[in-house]
Amino acid sequence: MNRPTALIADDEPLLRERLRTLLGRLWPELDVVAQARNGREAIALFDLHAPQVVFLDVHMPGLNGIEAARAVARRAELVFVTAYERYAVQAFEQGAIDYLVKPFDEPRLADTVQRLKSRLALPTPPARDTLDAVLETLSSELKRRAGTEAKAHLQWIRASVGSSVRLIPVEQVVYLRADEKYTLVVWEGGEALIRKTIRELADELDPSRFAQIHRSVIVNLHQVAQVNRGLNESAEVQLKGRRETLPVSRSYLHLFRQM
Amino acid sequence: MQPGPLPHTADEAGQDRPAWLATLSLKRVATALALAFVVAVAINPLFVTSFPVVLGRMLVVAMLLLLAFTLAGHWQPRWLPRWLAQVLAIVLVAPLATLAVYLPSTGGSLTAILRHEGLVWGVLLITGTALLIAPVFALGTLYRERDAQARNQQLRFELEKSILERQALDSRLSLLHAQIEPHFLFNTLANVQALVESGSPQAAPVLRSLIAYLRAAMPSLDAADASLGNEIRLVRAYLELMQMRMPDRLRFAIHVAPELEPLRFPSMALLTLVENAIRHAIDPSEQGGFVEVGAERDAASGEVRVWVGDSGAGMGDKVLPGTGIVNLRERIAAFFGPAARLELLEKPPHGLRAQIVFDAPPADAP
Repeated sequence: MNRPTALIADDEPLLRERLRTLLGRLWPELDVVAQARNGREAIALFDLHAPQVVFLDVHMPGLNGIEAARAVARRAELVFVTAYERYAVQAFEQGAIDYLVKPFDEPRLADTVQRLKSRLALPTPPARDTLDAVLETLSSELKRRAGTEAKAHLQWIRASVGSSVRLIPVEQVVYLRADEKYTLVVWEGGEALIRKTIRELADELDPSRFAQIHRSVIVNLHQVAQVNRGLNESAEVQLKGRRETLPVSRSYLHLFRQM
Repeated sequence: MQPGPLPHTADEAGQDRPAWLATLSLKRVATALALAFVVAVAINPLFVTSFPVVLGRMLVVAMLLLLAFTLAGHWQPRWLPRWLAQVLAIVLVAPLATLAVYLPSTGGSLTAILRHEGLVWGVLLITGTALLIAPVFALGTLYRERDAQARNQQLRFELEKSILERQALDSRLSLLHAQIEPHFLFNTLANVQALVESGSPQAAPVLRSLIAYLRAAMPSLDAADASLGNEIRLVRAYLELMQMRMPDRLRFAIHVAPELEPLRFPSMALLTLVENAIRHAIDPSEQGGFVEVGAERDAASGEVRVWVGDSGAGMGDKVLPGTGIVNLRERIAAFFGPAARLELLEKPPHGLRAQIVFDAPPADAP
């Protein structure tokens, strides 16, 4: 009879090594055929060795453990390894998916080994119908928590200052004004010229915070002190704590009409 | 003027009283009447008319002048300073008001007053005293108004200060709640467990780093020992632990001039930036990268710059700044004052540098 095979995927080498050592003690027949340092490696090594059991750390660089699991799908028994992610633990519980919470002790791993052995002994292990759904939910949750999800609107304005590029948070921007080929950004900490045009910026900035009030001017509405109406359908915007005023052209005057 | 699209500052909203009566207080009316009474008593011996008549005329003139003063104060044209408008109003209205109170005694005839020598003297006398006394009263009032404005401003400053202090307290309380990230702690403990179980000689130094990290990261309300040196020790312990966990993926370097270590520095501020660097530059990268921590004094401006650089892919245009960064910006302003700032720079070809810039006198000992 063939020895059962396993793959361990974890980005932290000490933890990979410990799991391998413990498995060697608790399940001597198990052959750990490969170790992966990230999700991408895990998928590649899985395709190469087709192990029956895959231990997957949830947090890994590049492709995380959940994404790797989605690629492996139902071709192996999965055991997730995680530290403190309550939402993940909850999801695993609900989906009846095996998991280990770091730092775990030997008896806990022994339970998992028992479960794996009995499932592997079955001619065809019962299908886990909820697996895909649980993994999909977890995948989007992880993305949300990583905070790398892009928003619909511009959050930063890049401006060259000397040899480096300054990232200006949009909430600190006071106004933007077209200056020939460039756009002048005036923020709470200074001024700079950027290459983006007023038209591009008008499309990308959050319309609930920024308003174009002139062909060549966009203003941060949170920085407006008041709007002074002049003769002949003209107006100018006065800014909080600043001397300069901004023109409002006739076609944008409606923005301030109901106020 | 039209109101702007957003709520106005508090001082503008507070002055929404009935327009031209805004500055006419009961106290002012009483002061004007008392002055008129004193003047009436003083100049009464010069008049042949009875005291009640002199007093009555004086009181009416005083009220008319006060009205002129108040209205002129409300006028506020751009080409004339307010105080000058008010004094001019008194000077112009004084003779007119005096003439007006004399009119009833001649049945409304102006020429009758001018033909009667006694009445002309009376008009001149009351006008003269009004012209002497009223501007003094006006200037006194103006001075008090200025004083009140200064007090108002003082109150506003104090309000702002207390808001800043509250924000600082808030952020300190939130620090007490979650200083140590559980995910970091449990992962680190799992590594320590592995080292201990395998009998590795690395276990002891790693435990030392963990203890140093925990000690520095423990909630502390004692701001006195919040120095840059302590913060650097915390950051070093944190980076050593991270490097033990991912030896092949994390490289780091710390360069801090020793003379900067005693500087006051908000606790956990630099750690927040280092955690961010790990999260953005190391965590997502299979190859890993490096984190650099430094502190230097700018020779030209004298400002101190404490920075964390990384080798990550930088920040996307539309990636929301983490709450850590937003809170940190407020904390820095509360701790060092409004001139201090948190700057984010991108260093071509890649990598992000977050720096805290603040003013600190060179001899700032703890």
